[in-house]
Amino acid sequence: MWETVAQAVINGLLIGGIYALVSIGVTLIFGVVKIVNFAQGEFVMIGMYISFFLANQFGVDPLVSLVVSMPVLFVVGVLIQHFLIRRVLGPNDMPQIFLTFALSLLLLNLALMLFTANYRTVHTSYSDEAFHIVGLYIPVAKLIAFGVAMLLSAALWVFLHTTDLGKAMRAAAQNRDVAMLMGINPNRVFCVALGIALALAGAAGSLLMPFYSAYPFVGQVFVLMAFVAVVMGTLGNVIGALVASLLMGVAESLGIQYVGADSGLIVVFALLLLTLAFKPTGLGGKAR
Amino acid sequence: MKKDRKDSVINNAGPDRSLSRQQSRRKFLLKTGGLVAAGAFGAVPLRGWAADPVNIGALYPTTGSMAQIGVGCVAAAKLAIEMVNDAGGIKSLGGAKLNLILSDVQSDTTVTRTETDRLITGNKLSAIHGCFASALTLIASEVCERAKVPIITGSSSDQLNKGRTYTFTPFARASQFARAQLQMSKLVSDTPKVAVIFENTAFGTSTSNGLKELAPGEGVEIVMFEPYSAGFTDASPLINKVKSSGANALFSVSYLNDLILIVRTVKQVGLNIAINGGSGGFVIPDFYKNVGKLAEGLQGVAHWNHDMDPNAEKVNTEYKKRTGEFLFEYAGGLVAQTFMLADALERAGSADPQKVREALSALDVSSGYAAMAPGGKVKFGPDGKNVYGRPVGVQWQNGDLASVFPKEDARAPLMKT
Repeated sequence: MWETVAQAVINGLLIGGIYALVSIGVTLIFGVVKIVNFAQGEFVMIGMYISFFLANQFGVDPLVSLVVSMPVLFVVGVLIQHFLIRRVLGPNDMPQIFLTFALSLLLLNLALMLFTANYRTVHTSYSDEAFHIVGLYIPVAKLIAFGVAMLLSAALWVFLHTTDLGKAMRAAAQNRDVAMLMGINPNRVFCVALGIALALAGAAGSLLMPFYSAYPFVGQVFVLMAFVAVVMGTLGNVIGALVASLLMGVAESLGIQYVGADSGLIVVFALLLLTLAFKPTGLGGKAR
Repeated sequence: MKKDRKDSVINNAGPDRSLSRQQSRRKFLLKTGGLVAAGAFGAVPLRGWAADPVNIGALYPTTGSMAQIGVGCVAAAKLAIEMVNDAGGIKSLGGAKLNLILSDVQSDTTVTRTETDRLITGNKLSAIHGCFASALTLIASEVCERAKVPIITGSSSDQLNKGRTYTFTPFARASQFARAQLQMSKLVSDTPKVAVIFENTAFGTSTSNGLKELAPGEGVEIVMFEPYSAGFTDASPLINKVKSSGANALFSVSYLNDLILIVRTVKQVGLNIAINGGSGGFVIPDFYKNVGKLAEGLQGVAHWNHDMDPNAEKVNTEYKKRTGEFLFEYAGGLVAQTFMLADALERAGSADPQKVREALSALDVSSGYAAMAPGGKVKFGPDGKNVYGRPVGVQWQNGDLASVFPKEDARAPLMKT
């Protein structure tokens, strides 16, 4: 009995780590730039395809290709902020929503055109392996993904709390107008925020590749969870998004185990409703 | 500019220079139109043989979501036509060659309707084969029924045998697949305990309900019957449940992406269970490309397999030489179908579609390329169903599909996983 529960919790935590990378990106962009990036899932997809092609063409391990997918997507993020998002930042939210939504559709259909709808899988030596401890199993690929996800989250936290740029980003997140009055260059801060958020999405893609298939719609699977986590963990709160993502992973896993295999998301959304009912601002309290 | 174009029109029209301009333009359009169509649909050009060629229409999706399989089908269709022609064509028609007229149905039901119509009205066809996906074939067979042109197909939907007199289905029906799958579980254990997991939309629910209904009659116990939502991120909780159900066989009615995740997770858990993935996308070369070594030992069902008899092996070798992949069920089946059509044409002694239909309904073969089917015999009943039709149980072994069930069709022993 306890084994089943423990196993479900382990499974949930491991996949929650991936949700966290996506949702931290969304919440970071929302916190700093104050826009909702509907295309975040598509950047996970791009990260997956980068890893897939590197593995397929040059035999690069998906985990190693992290060092390619993250910088590439960082640059993409900076460019998107500088050339697209900067132009629609203003009092009106509508153009921003349309922009990121259009970006999502564009990338999705571009991927369909370039890569077709086929599933792409990478086989690594550790893809199908697992550690077995006291009747429980921990898949190696997922454990690595979880570990790297936590490391990246920690690195982001350190960056936000110790560097000037990081502090500037937090300042912009807390009060953009005052931050600007204090001499913070908003576009520079926004560019870095977009870059980091997309780099995290790219990291999620590369980390997923050893155990998940890439296909054009793959981002949609993760972005839905990310939005729930972002709302549950308080909009703009990085730690909140992280904790909420892990919680949701566990909730989904337990839901599948004890409610039904097609009801995992029901439990997740029930959790979201409960959170909003009793703590309307989310688990994180306020943006940090 | 205008003058130039007229000149070129006349040049293109060649010997029709003396005709009035309007007529020559019409000729030009006809010719270029024909040329474009020939280019687009890859029609085999006439080579100046004595007897009039016999036109066979082929409807396959070579673009769109089903393109990958459609392209393989077209390669097989061309190969089959060549084989018939190289063997001397239709002797009763003075050695008439078969002429394949291809049409792309674009993986789309609406396009299938218009393309089938266009193919029939635009050409003097003797018969049609197609379209791979049952959803498309159902529409094409409707059009053929109205136009009174026989269609022969490997599509498995049982609906194709209802109220149609021009549709012929030489291979196992969908309803037979579920039974074969259940019987295969007995290869694994004398007391099969089956866990059925299925994605919770129409495809998954209808297939799994078929399994559930037939299970008691086949003496198979279903210990777990669980729907899941397709596109999940993690199969571990589901496989956890399978583990605690105590099942020794797992039927997964899944799309490819989920199936890969399920197979991987089973391996990670270290669960010793025989997995049967059914048919369709599970028994094509692409599946192995995607899943790799993990596919080894996985079981499925097919309506055709290339190791069934020496003839099938021969065709497989040639197909492999051309495409680099083994001859998968649908493509292999349609090679056999082409020979069934040739057999019917031979006996009909006419290219008239009505007479071809008559000859097809009287078809009775048990040798040669036309008899490449599980069981090795083809004879159509009044509903157009092959009375000997049955599926073959297959298993992935060394990157290839081996027939393992039933005993009389088995060409390799079941590999225990």
